[in-house]
Amino acid sequence: MLRLGKSSWDVRSWNIFQSTINKKNHFHSSAKGTLTSCKSLFHLETSTRPIPPLRLCAKQRAFYCQETSSSAKPSSSAPIRLRTRLLVVLLIGGGFAGTWWYMHEKKQKKAQRQRTEQLKKVALGKGNFSLLDHTGQRRSKKDYLGSWVLLYFGFTHCPDICPDELEKLTSVVEILDKDTTLPPVQPIFVTVDPERDDHAAMARYVKDFHPRMVGLTGTVEEVKEAGRDFRVYSSAGPKDTDGDYIVDHTIVIYLVNPDGLFLDYYNRMKNENQIADSIRKHMKTYVKLFP
Amino acid sequence: MSAPNAVQRKACWDARDLLWNCLDVNNDQAPACEKFQKDFEAMCPAQWVKHFDKRRDFLKYKEKLEKDGFQLTKVEEQQ
Repeated sequence: MLRLGKSSWDVRSWNIFQSTINKKNHFHSSAKGTLTSCKSLFHLETSTRPIPPLRLCAKQRAFYCQETSSSAKPSSSAPIRLRTRLLVVLLIGGGFAGTWWYMHEKKQKKAQRQRTEQLKKVALGKGNFSLLDHTGQRRSKKDYLGSWVLLYFGFTHCPDICPDELEKLTSVVEILDKDTTLPPVQPIFVTVDPERDDHAAMARYVKDFHPRMVGLTGTVEEVKEAGRDFRVYSSAGPKDTDGDYIVDHTIVIYLVNPDGLFLDYYNRMKNENQIADSIRKHMKTYVKLFP
Repeated sequence: MSAPNAVQRKACWDARDLLWNCLDVNNDQAPACEKFQKDFEAMCPAQWVKHFDKRRDFLKYKEKLEKDGFQLTKVEEQQ
């Protein structure tokens, strides 16, 4: 507290006398709680009676002016305290949020790892299929080692499900194609109806979908072998008067990694964004089996 | 007979949607939607017609289950 003669009063210079402010005496300044200039510091009024301007020696004046002008922030003590309080709360809150997010991510990664392990144990697609692609060329599983493969089993006479699923597959590949940091995915469509779906029929069918899509067919035995490899269920329905029939079959998209290992599967419930996200995750965590 | 291509598939699906809309509006009264039925049968292979009819029955059944709940049928007591 600064005493001057008989009157005692406080100088509201927050960085010096913050702890000793006497709230009984209020200082009016031109703006709310701001000290606009050094002069105003010395022309103060109390709420009770006017006081003549404070007469300080040059040294004292310089001291006070320097302090207030250098620290001339446009706020008084109450907002500053609030700001620090807010900052501390935000930091602590941020700390909690960050920790929660980190634990959540760890849990997710663990769940994904467990799922992959389980599916690897199931070990679908171990065999070595040998089929004809839609250009009539013979293809085996070896030809696709080194690339990520999305496999779908269906037939060309399918009313709605196969076209929908193949559309979805096409969208997934397009979404992943947009990301140039990811390796290209190979979409493959294998028929469960080799009696009707020869390679010409497959060619006609796959051209309506992704340009990279390959259609695979073969003899009844070859197709059965490939289906068995992936535990695909298929059963031809009764034939119609014009010989048409529907083949009931497993509706699933299989993900195979560049080592030829089955990693994941996606059913009708998954949309293209969910599938693309899942594939991205698998690609990120992929470790080559035989480097 | 070769499989329908994308254009033919879409034509069939559109005809089916028109028929189903008509049936929904007319409370499944088949005679009211005869024209759409004829179009549908013309645009789609016979097997597909059967398939979509079965699908519609299933969807209606599912709707009924969701609305009215599942009713357990009484089983006669075994002697």
